Amino acid sequence: MDWHQLWEITSTPDNIPIVGLLLLVPFYTWYAFRQALENDRLITQLEKDPAMAKSHHRKTFPYRPEWPREVHTWPYLMRIEFLAAIIVTFILMVWSITLNAPLEEPANPNLTMNPAKAPWYFLGLQEMLVYFDPWIAGVLMPTLIIVGLMVIPYVDANPLGNGYYTFKQRRIAILSFCFGFLGLWVLMIVIGTFIRGPGWMWFWPGQTWDHNKLVFEVNRDLHETILFSWIPGIHTWPGKIIFGGLVVGAYYVLAALAVHKLMTINDHTRKILNRMGLVQYLTIQFFAVTMLGLPVKMLARLLFRIKYVWVTPWFNI
Amino acid sequence: MAEPVPHHDPITSRSMSGPLLVASILLLLSLVWALYDEFYGLRPWKGYQEYFTEVYSKFLEKAIAEQTAREEQVTQSAAYQELAKQLEAARAAAAPREKEIQDELGIIERRLTVLTDLFATARGRVSALMYEAEKASFTGDARAKERLLKAVEEAKKEVSVANLPTADGKMETLRLDYDSLESEYNNLKERKAELLTELVRVRETVNELNARMQEYMENNTLGLSAAQLKGLLNKVRHMPVEIKQIHVLRTDQVDRCESCHLGTREPVEITLAALRDAATDGGKRKLSATQEKYLRAFVSHPERDLLRIHDPERFGCSTCHGGNGRAASSEYKGHGRHKYWLWPLYYRENFEAGCQQCHARDMVLDYSTTLNRGKELFRQRGCIGCHRYEGFDDERERLQATQLGLRQINLQRAQWEREIQQSIQKGDTAQTNEEAQRYYARAEQLRLRISGLDAQSEQLRRDARSLLREDKKVGPNLKEIRAKIRPDWIPVWLENPHAWRPTTKMPRFRLDAHDVQVISAFLWQNALKAEVPKQPLGNAARGKQLFETRGCLACHSIGEGENEIGGNFAANLSRVGEKNNYDYLVRWIHNPRERLRPYCPLEKRDLTPEDYAKKGLPFVFDLEHPTCPNDGSELQVQNATPMPILRLTIEDARDIATYLMTQKKQEPSSYAKADYLNDPKLFEEGKAKVKFYGCAGCHEISGLEEEQRIGTELTAEGSKPIERLDFALLTEDAKRGILPDGTPSPRGKWYDHKGFFEQKLADPAIYDKGKEDTKPEAERLRMPKPNLTPEEITALTTFLLGSVDPGYGFPTSYLYRPTGGPQKDIQEGWWIVSKYNCMGCHVMRIGQRSALMDMPQYQGEGKEQLPPVLIGAGARLNPDWMTKFLENPALSKTDTNRNGVRSYLQVRMPTFNFSEQEIQTLVRFFQALSAQEQPYLPPKLAPLTEQERTLARQLFTHPAAPCLKCHAYGDPTHDRTATAPNFVLARERLKPAWTERWVVDPAKMIPGTSMPSGLFRREGNRWVFSAPHPPAARSYTGDHAELLVRYIFELTAEEQRRLIGRGVARAPSSSAQQAVNLVKSH
Repeated sequence: MDWHQLWEITSTPDNIPIVGLLLLVPFYTWYAFRQALENDRLITQLEKDPAMAKSHHRKTFPYRPEWPREVHTWPYLMRIEFLAAIIVTFILMVWSITLNAPLEEPANPNLTMNPAKAPWYFLGLQEMLVYFDPWIAGVLMPTLIIVGLMVIPYVDANPLGNGYYTFKQRRIAILSFCFGFLGLWVLMIVIGTFIRGPGWMWFWPGQTWDHNKLVFEVNRDLHETILFSWIPGIHTWPGKIIFGGLVVGAYYVLAALAVHKLMTINDHTRKILNRMGLVQYLTIQFFAVTMLGLPVKMLARLLFRIKYVWVTPWFNI
Repeated sequence: MAEPVPHHDPITSRSMSGPLLVASILLLLSLVWALYDEFYGLRPWKGYQEYFTEVYSKFLEKAIAEQTAREEQVTQSAAYQELAKQLEAARAAAAPREKEIQDELGIIERRLTVLTDLFATARGRVSALMYEAEKASFTGDARAKERLLKAVEEAKKEVSVANLPTADGKMETLRLDYDSLESEYNNLKERKAELLTELVRVRETVNELNARMQEYMENNTLGLSAAQLKGLLNKVRHMPVEIKQIHVLRTDQVDRCESCHLGTREPVEITLAALRDAATDGGKRKLSATQEKYLRAFVSHPERDLLRIHDPERFGCSTCHGGNGRAASSEYKGHGRHKYWLWPLYYRENFEAGCQQCHARDMVLDYSTTLNRGKELFRQRGCIGCHRYEGFDDERERLQATQLGLRQINLQRAQWEREIQQSIQKGDTAQTNEEAQRYYARAEQLRLRISGLDAQSEQLRRDARSLLREDKKVGPNLKEIRAKIRPDWIPVWLENPHAWRPTTKMPRFRLDAHDVQVISAFLWQNALKAEVPKQPLGNAARGKQLFETRGCLACHSIGEGENEIGGNFAANLSRVGEKNNYDYLVRWIHNPRERLRPYCPLEKRDLTPEDYAKKGLPFVFDLEHPTCPNDGSELQVQNATPMPILRLTIEDARDIATYLMTQKKQEPSSYAKADYLNDPKLFEEGKAKVKFYGCAGCHEISGLEEEQRIGTELTAEGSKPIERLDFALLTEDAKRGILPDGTPSPRGKWYDHKGFFEQKLADPAIYDKGKEDTKPEAERLRMPKPNLTPEEITALTTFLLGSVDPGYGFPTSYLYRPTGGPQKDIQEGWWIVSKYNCMGCHVMRIGQRSALMDMPQYQGEGKEQLPPVLIGAGARLNPDWMTKFLENPALSKTDTNRNGVRSYLQVRMPTFNFSEQEIQTLVRFFQALSAQEQPYLPPKLAPLTEQERTLARQLFTHPAAPCLKCHAYGDPTHDRTATAPNFVLARERLKPAWTERWVVDPAKMIPGTSMPSGLFRREGNRWVFSAPHPPAARSYTGDHAELLVRYIFELTAEEQRRLIGRGVARAPSSSAQQAVNLVKSH
């Protein structure tokens, strides 16, 4: 266990936000879920007792009927926000006094640093470059992420859950968020920060980042693996394009079926599905399947050393 | 759900004052912290400056007290008092007139004040009107012009009223029109100037006496005066606390070093001891660690002269020292120790790397002993054999460039010749006369141009010949080992050269027993199979004496360990008897440049007698017969050794060789037999190894003459990105400060250039650590272990650290790269001086010691046997003569077993067989070093009149200055005991101006010279003889020294003989010292 190395990575001023992220994200996730589950219990209670449902507007639990139904923003909300502002200011002050901006040596185009890392908030994108060609990982995917986020309000057919934490009422939405944000975005930032060392190689935490390390890895395109390489004509451009297209197409069909299965898993989800139009549903399907594609490709790469599935002269997936 | 529901609503009933209070206090504290950080934390120099003011004031107060006491003493002295009295008298004499002038000036001043105002107003008005009038005249408006001129006239007639003070203290009122106003004004101005001039004249004596008193004070006290020191004290007491920065506008460099290093450029010298004394009030108080640190930062720059040449206002600080000059927030950052700062401050022991950054083209630099040593080592230890470094050992590269140039000229020539033919043909068939003329003219022009090309090509050929001669190898010629070496010794040597000869420059290679065998076998079988003539044995005792006196020890050393004496330029000869063949050794000592076989660079092989026989030529090759019989190309006819020819007779050579053969620790027969040397099976493998290890970088080896250097180029090694220095498996250790032997590094992390170089030089194989068993042999690090002391490692590290790309961290305009003139001559000359170890015998720089100077035989009386000091040689010697002398130091073709000038010296100026270019460079070098104009035109000396000649003869032979007592004059018995050169040489050899300065005060030029000083004394503006004047001097009013010099420059051998015939050389005094005494007694 190389503690020196571990300390060096965690103590770099660049990485402080990510160390914070490592602790804060699980904490707030847990905190939010605790509140959501508490509310879910209240919802169950209210659903059983219509009388209480009428009088109960504050979605907290427990509750006494003689308490005011509504409270004023000032001072009851503002004072808490003010307190939070003071604490955050304090933290920022201390942070800015103790840690300097992580500037490095003057840029030298003849000599790039190793590992050359993007700013922490872009490390997820950089990590994607390992799995897709730059055009996909650097242009298409970020665009899809942004468009996908913009699309959410227009495809969200579930009216519940506004203004309070709940899990029960928005299961699919929350699970997809957790999967997309925690599982893909945050996780990839963490991998990019702590796992990727010199040569963008995989170092487990505590391993020394040895610049001289050599690893033997051969990554192959899917059509070159023994499973498929025997197919006649597969190594020609049309062969590769058709084969890759078929595989990707097959993935989209299968994954869409799986997502559909999820959408019809119980009455609640079926009810939401029924509220959606065809375009809304197809949009959701497209983004969900594409998002799922990322971990699929990552696993294919990390476990089976598959470089690309669909190889064309114009793009590779 | 066991949680009870509170009675009151927590949202509305809970108080938040507690958390708010805590948070607010925290916020306030962080604000205080931020303010502290802003004013002190990030500005540590404030602490330095406050403490500096305190300590430096105390330091100055003490200095002022001491200086005042000293000045007091001087004030009491009689001479000073006398001056003071004179000053008083002069003041009194000047006072009345001075007062009158002052009074008058006062009134004039007051009158002028009034008049200036009136006059300026009037003139302004008139000028403005005149301008309008001129403009009207220009536009042709005659009426307006007329009107305006009239207005000018009127304006001039207008009367101003002036109330002016007069000399008697009253006021007078004048009514003045423009013209009288102007003349009154001008009169006053004139009178004022007159009075001021007179005032200066009146005060002249007073001012002069004041200056003399000040001069007397300065001459009798040290350093700054008390008043000046008080000025400094006042300045430091009112010194504002602020960032002190040097902003070099030319390069926009900002250095804030002096914000903490406050004493760097103070006019008084601040030493740490004096400062500590002031800070502790003479040891009464203890200093904290911080205060100690502060004091260390306050001291003066240790090399003031250096700072004068490299004025910080023009160069900044970090240009030379490295570091981050802008950073003032901490010592760590200012010194550039941050891992992302590319130009950290050089460590103390490597400071001189800063010199190398700009002075890479200088071989020898003042003020940088360590760096000079590093460069010398880089060349001498044969680093140049494997590593290219711009400027070092580049003869072969330049030769190639010359040959390329020659080829291009030939191509151009051929092309023009074709064009000439074509032009003539075209001219012959031209339609018109004009056209034909044009073609013929073109042909004519090309013919002329070709003749220009021929001149160019001739020069290039001469350059090529020079370069072939200049190319030297670090190690001996291995082609000749069969004749030179005992075979059994070779494997012993290869296995570990340092064990056999600890001081050798041969490094130890990473060879196993098998490698040693195959390499020895290859070298042995590959060597020339030529015989050297048998030599009879000589006299070892005489050989020892010759060895110790002829100058061998300037380069070679002998004796081991404690007993070692001599120079370290060439090999230690203590065990020569164990390895060498006597016959070869004799030949070598007699003429080390003599090769067994000439080498033809064109055919790339050594020529044999058969090659010559085939062409019917005798097998003779030397500098007079340097061309190849087969193809006429320039041959390598000399051994590529810097060892010169000492012009010994063959008998002397035998004696020395016989003596050297007695130098052994064990009998040669006790070496293990190495029969495998003749095993042809080992040849190819051995050859591969020799190529692999780059042996041909330092040695001449048959078949490998054209091998390239095997190492990496080091010209810019210091600026190589750290990532490209291969720390290999030690990378992590280096970053964590663990040395290769597992101990912690004293300076912490050594992942930097310094660390890399130091470890590499100490053990070049270190970066193969951990890979010994896995790496195939062909991929192993090849650099051999160079056997360096820690000081030598520091010197080489300093050299490499400073070897940076031009412009790496400093502007390229700082590079010292003169393109011509004396600077360039000096720069080039040092390379040759160092190449041939001239400084082994001669003193060439102030403060330098030659290798011979420290030997026992050259102490006391033996000093006179030392080779001449060459400081100022350029001012002394006629460059034409110098050229001749350097070519042939015997100054004779036949009588060579002697020194050309100082025949009385046992030590011999050897023949170096310099190339034409080297001689030119050296002559230019000496002239430039003495600031002599080139080319040199000897001044015409006035011929002596009969009367002058008589006096000169009398001076020349005066018993108080018996010149011919010490100077040689061509009589062998006398010349043996002489200690100075023959006068007959003077005319061609010396420069008259120098000679005059020399006879007047030789000790000033060469301290400790046996030439007596004080032969002449100053009388008015001429030098006269110090001893009682000879009769002819009475009527002579000229300069005696100058006369003597003119006589010496006219002196012929016959005249000299005539003087000796008269017996004047046998002067009563028995040595020059007595002559001096005689002079002094008068």
